[in-house]
Order: sequence, then structure tokens, then C-alpha cells
Amino acid sequence: MTLRNIAPQIHPLQKIDFIEPKIFDITPEVRLYWMATIPDETTRIEFHFDAGTIRGNEKVAGFVNSLLLSGTAQKSTTQIHDELNGLGAYIDQEIGQETAIISLYCLRENVEKAVEILADAIQHVVFSEQEVNDMLREKRQNYLVASEKVGVLVRRAFQQQLFSNSERYSRQLVFEDLEHVSPLTLKRFHQDFYLKGLCKVVVVGNLEAAYIDRLIDTVGGWSKLGEPQFESEFINIPGHTHVEKADAVQKAIRLGIPLFNKTHADFLDFQIMQTIFGDYFGSRLMSNIREDKGYTYGIGCGVAESNKTGYFIISTEVGKEVAEATLKEIKFEMDRLKTEAVQQEELDLVKNYLLGQILKSADGPNAMMDLFMATQRHGKGFEYYNEAIQHIQQIDQKRILELANTYLNWDQFSIVTAGATSI
Amino acid sequence: MIEFERFTLENGLKVIFHKDPTTPLAVVNTLYDVGARDEDPSKTGFAHLFEHLMFGGSVHIPDFDAPLQHAGGESNAFTSNDITNYYDVLPAQNIETALWLESDRMLSLAFTPKSLETQRNVVIEEFKQRYLNQPYGDVWLKLRPLAYHAHPYQWATIGKEIKHIEDAQMEDVKAFFAKYYNPSNAILCIAGNFELEQVKTLVNKWYGDIPSGLKPARILPAEPQQTEFREQIIERNVPSDAFYYAFKMPERKSPDYYIADILSDALGRDKSSRLYVKIQKELKLVTEIGAYITGSLDDGLLIISGKLSPDVTFQQLDDALWIVLNEIKETTISDIELARLKNKIKTAKAFQEQGLLNRAMNLCLFELLGDAEGVNQEALIYSEIEPKHIQTVAKQVLNQSNCSLLKVKTTQS
Repeated sequence: MTLRNIAPQIHPLQKIDFIEPKIFDITPEVRLYWMATIPDETTRIEFHFDAGTIRGNEKVAGFVNSLLLSGTAQKSTTQIHDELNGLGAYIDQEIGQETAIISLYCLRENVEKAVEILADAIQHVVFSEQEVNDMLREKRQNYLVASEKVGVLVRRAFQQQLFSNSERYSRQLVFEDLEHVSPLTLKRFHQDFYLKGLCKVVVVGNLEAAYIDRLIDTVGGWSKLGEPQFESEFINIPGHTHVEKADAVQKAIRLGIPLFNKTHADFLDFQIMQTIFGDYFGSRLMSNIREDKGYTYGIGCGVAESNKTGYFIISTEVGKEVAEATLKEIKFEMDRLKTEAVQQEELDLVKNYLLGQILKSADGPNAMMDLFMATQRHGKGFEYYNEAIQHIQQIDQKRILELANTYLNWDQFSIVTAGATSI
Repeated sequence: MIEFERFTLENGLKVIFHKDPTTPLAVVNTLYDVGARDEDPSKTGFAHLFEHLMFGGSVHIPDFDAPLQHAGGESNAFTSNDITNYYDVLPAQNIETALWLESDRMLSLAFTPKSLETQRNVVIEEFKQRYLNQPYGDVWLKLRPLAYHAHPYQWATIGKEIKHIEDAQMEDVKAFFAKYYNPSNAILCIAGNFELEQVKTLVNKWYGDIPSGLKPARILPAEPQQTEFREQIIERNVPSDAFYYAFKMPERKSPDYYIADILSDALGRDKSSRLYVKIQKELKLVTEIGAYITGSLDDGLLIISGKLSPDVTFQQLDDALWIVLNEIKETTISDIELARLKNKIKTAKAFQEQGLLNRAMNLCLFELLGDAEGVNQEALIYSEIEPKHIQTVAKQVLNQSNCSLLKVKTTQS
């Protein structure tokens, strides 16, 4: 007879076997990171450029990113895509505030050709008027569709409240920006931030070492001279801002404060504290606002890191009639974390959960590489995760209280809502 | 190639074991052979609501998630029109925790009124967040009943309307559980660095004493052959006109399923596809266009959807669209184009198979289709498709009389 009332014994995390990528210096500042041990035929190559939305005097970073494969003097955009698709290659063009990343996914038998086509397209893009107009037309439509979503409206307003000290970090596109752009501005941005903006190359694939040298020869000329400069402190505007969208049946809510990144002494312990608060399915926010009250499909929080600093954010979408009640419950949960010591049982659960998450985020060569890169940009390596494991094992109730009291101060939060009627 | 072993418990539970010696994690994936297509037309959204209730505690364990998190794991689930799939990912040394939790909720739920009450609200908010509070969010609530008149694919997994969710009663919940949630209606996959004997022992220990139950017979109303073009226009406060052409296509087990899949890729998968190049890039009639298949187990849909450019009419689009569709029906596609489509599929498959969870879910799905080995035959099936096959399926599928068209007209000026 199986005893179903008794939970099976839990075995603690054994050690994690980290696999270091090989590191090549392209220049003194720009490096290539290569994870060669992979049990299949896939290859992933990422090119990181200092070409995020904070770059350039005009707001064209996103345009240039979208147009990278839009054609050269020799090849049309369709030709470029046909060639890449013919090799079974997938290209991702993503852009954030600080970095733009172009990723190539393909089988290793096709990687050389695919990189050649991709590099040629990026190097020689001409920004033809026709392609620029097509891009603007599509972006205008996407902008209007996005503007119908409360989740997007709240994000735009939140960015202005959170990065109030920086025009570059808080700025964003408005519809008028999508009406016209001069190809010359695009060319200049491309020249400055792509052709002289490569910051790192990430490779996961069972390739030949000689190919890595050839890859460096192909793209090394794009290397950025010197270290890119980033904002090292954000200053937010505390208090409530509302964006009206009269026909919305749900209201999007965002709260946030400037914080820090992995380089700060409190970072690891803060991660544990904020997990209890709202960063896993059994968190305080989920248990109260979803599982007890049924106000939302989901609510969560997290720390977003930038190169030199970071911020803390709480985010949800709730029925419009319960938005005020939701804010009250978020505040209630903050206060509870500041005044009541967390139960040992709950703390143990979160500790084990977080250890499991570290194990999961080290599973497989691609995950291992991401894990490494997440520490590398803050000047750390895999030793950071061993440190994290120690912090998780050692943290106690007192330290959680202390962190909650230091950082979770309601009056310091920027609170932004988007939906029907202000609250 | 995904290696696996199979065995069946006396109570009918089918078990697949996939050994991966490279991972420190384990996956426990449970597929229940029940989806929205099995619902009563007057109580839709129930399979999905029920999925939420499966996390509300079982007969011996008050809370599902906490013990799993305590073991360093996490869990989630999804419901489709065809199946309900639950998965747990956790450190391999704690796999027994997942088996304890999953087997207990297969044995019996706690059925607390509080859980039902809360999850009704959560699902209603999910309904709003995904279907009502997004531009074009409700198109599938309209398109399904347009395309299907008899088959239960006429409603979405979230349900026809919020009222059906509000009305869900505890007695419905209990009856649903009794009918569908038993070993004879489930497929379990264990993946990780284990040995077969070890897996057999553990699975027998936790699942062996669960009463078998009866595998419910599935008799669904067959969708009659569509013989007429259908069209519906809805007006919405959205920025631009949008179109959804839905063509009936063969069921999942048909050999033509894979051909229709490639056909949809040729039409609208990427920036080399015919609709993108002709209608978006060249004619500039749309700002977005794509084609894909719904992947349903019974007769599915091949969808072509997109948004019109400002000042373009639905008629202009329709004329241009049918020229592209007729072309693929009248002339065979080139070997170069076909090779391109196959290469993309090959790459995508290689990346998908990297994930342990993906492998486990796929093994269960193919076992449901009849044989888990099918997961390893897909590559060969795709590679053997020839241009003439695509032309034949295009001729069968891409016809007016096989098409349901939903137009979303903007009310914004």
C-alpha cells in the first residue's frame, strides 16, 4: 500500500557542473564566446551591437535594426531572404534600450554560407527609399495595433516615470516619428553603431576551431573601439500615473523602482526576497491576488538588469473593477513582508525552488551559455552561481525583513495604470 | 532520433520512458485524452477550466504546487481543442515528488468549492485578457463557428462565452473528472537520466493502484463536407481591416496533413513565401500576411490571415490572393523552393528536439496518435514530399467552396 499522505523525501541539489565557453579576444574590448560541446547539429550565433534605442540623436535605432536585411546594391531583400531560407536559416533581429542583437539559427553544415550572406547584407545595406517606406508603413500599422493594448500603453508610460533623469532611456517612438525618416540618418546610424559597434559575438555549435578564426576575420572589422557608455543610475518619479483607454475591460498595472544589478552586494539576497514576494507561481502576490481573490490571470515581479544598474518591477492585468483592490493587496503584501518574519517552511520552499531554477537554467549548452553571458557582462563568471547557491542556503528570516524594509517602500514606487477611468 | 521504451500498467496507463543521460533534470508529462472537442455544447470552456482545478489540491495533498516547488521543480499545463497536457520539470533526484503529486490527482481531486469559485474568476480574467482586451482578440471566437457547423471545433478552448464558465457547477466538475481523468485515458512520459527498471518500479508504486476506469468512447458529430463559400463581416474598434481565410484541411493522421503543412509554409511562413513576396512586398496591399495550419487532430484549418494597408479594399486583396492561390494549384513548385521549405523544417525540428520537455510532450502526442515512434518518422515523411503532392493538396484545399472568410472591419476613421 502506497502511503500517499507522506511526501517522498527531498534530496538536496548536488553540485552543478558548469561548462566554460572558450573566449577569444577580437580586440582588447570585444570578445567572442564559444560553446563547442553540443550533442546535436544546431548552431546559434549572436552578434551584439552597441545599437540600442538609447543610441543616436534621432530615434532611428529600431528602423536601422529592422532594415539590416533590406538589400544591398547587389541583392534585393527578397534575394537575401531566399538565400538564407534556402539554407534553412532563421534570423532574429532584436533591439533593447542598450543593445541590438542579431541572431542566426541554423544547422552547422550551413553555418559558413549563412554567416557570409548575413554579414554581407549587414555590411552593405543601402537603405533604399522603397525599403524605408515599406518599413515605415508596416511600423505605423503595428504602432496603431500596439496602442490598443493596455499592456503596451502602461509600458510606455512606465518607462517615462522610471527613467525620468534620462531622455535617452525614457524616450520612445510616437506616431509622427513613423511618417518620415531620411535615409542619410539611417546610414549614419548604421555606420556608427553597426559597422563600428560590435561588442560581442556568442557562438554555440560544434564547429571547427579554424572556422571560429574565419568568423572573427569576417566580422572583426565591426568591432567597437573603447567601452560603450551606459547610464549608471535611474531616478524615478514616484506616485500614480494613469493612461486612459475607455473601452478596455481590464486594467494593466505596473509598479517599479530603480534598483541595481549583479554587481551590488544586496543583489542575490534581494532576488530571494522578491521571489517570495511575487516571482514564482506560489508567491505572495500570486497566492493572494490570483489564487485567493481571482482578480487576475497572472501577476508577477522581477528585477531587470541593465549594463550599469537595474530596476524592480511588478506587473499585472486585472479586471477594471478590481484594479484599486489589487493595488491595495500589493501594498498589503509589501507591508506584510516588512513586518512579519517569513515562515521557515515558506523560506525553505523558496530556497529549494531557486536551487532547482539554477539547475534548470544550466541544462544544455544553449542554457549554459546564456547563464554564462548573464554574469559576464557584469564582470563575473560561473563562480557567481556558486556564490548564489551559498546565499540561498544561508539566508534567514531576519535578512528578508531587512531587505524588504530597505527596498519595498510604497511611497518610492512609480505606479502606472492603463485602462478605463483613473483610480 | 528520440529513443524511448514503452510499457502499460494493468490499469491501462500507457507509459513512455525517454532516457537522456546528459541532463540533471527530469520531466513528468501527462497527456489526458480530453479536450474542448469533448465538451457539451451548452457547457463549453469546461476542459480548460478543469485544467485549472487540477492545481487546487488532490485527495491526499492539499496543494499541488508547493511540494513540487519545495522539490526544486515547477509545473504547468495547457488545454487544446484535442488534449489536456500537464508537465512537471524538476531535479532528477526528486522525480518521486512529481510522481506522488501527479498520481494523487489522477486518483482523485479535493473538489473544494473555494477552488472552483476562484478558478472560475481566474479563467474569466484570462478570457478578458486574451480574447476581449486585445485588438482582434475575439476573431477565433467568430471564425470557429463560421468554419465548423457540426464538429465541436466550432468553439474555442476558452469557451463560447463567459457565461458558460460562470455557470460551471461542482457536480459537472466531478462528473468530468470521473469520465476523463483515469489511467485508461492517459499517457505518461518520464524523461531523464534513469534506468527502465527504476522507472517501472516507481511508476508501478505510484500509479499501480489507481482504478482503471473506462476509456470513454469518443463519438463526435462529423463535420459535413463544406460545399459553399462562407463569409462573415464583423465591425470592431481596431486600427485596420483584417482578414482570416480558413480552408478545411485533412486530419492529423492523414498523409496529406504534412503536405498541407508545407503548402502553408510555401504560402506564408517567412519573407520568401509567396503571399509575403507578392501581396505585401510587391503589391503593398497588406502590412502583414501569413499562412499556417491549426494542427488539429480531426479535420483542421489552413489559415491565411493579415491586415490591409490603409485605403486598400477587401476586394483588391481577394483578387490578388486568388491569383497567388491559383498559381500554386496550376503549376508545380520548383525543386529549389521545395528544398528551401524542407530545410527550414529540418532546422526547426533540430532546435525543438533540444528541449527535454518538448521531446516528452511529443512522445505522448504521437502515442495518442497511435505510435510514439511516429515522432521519429516525421523527418522522413517531410523529406519524401514532392512538388506534385503539394499541387494535388493545393487543388483539394484552396477552393472557394472549402473556405470560410472572416473580415474584421475597422470602425475607426
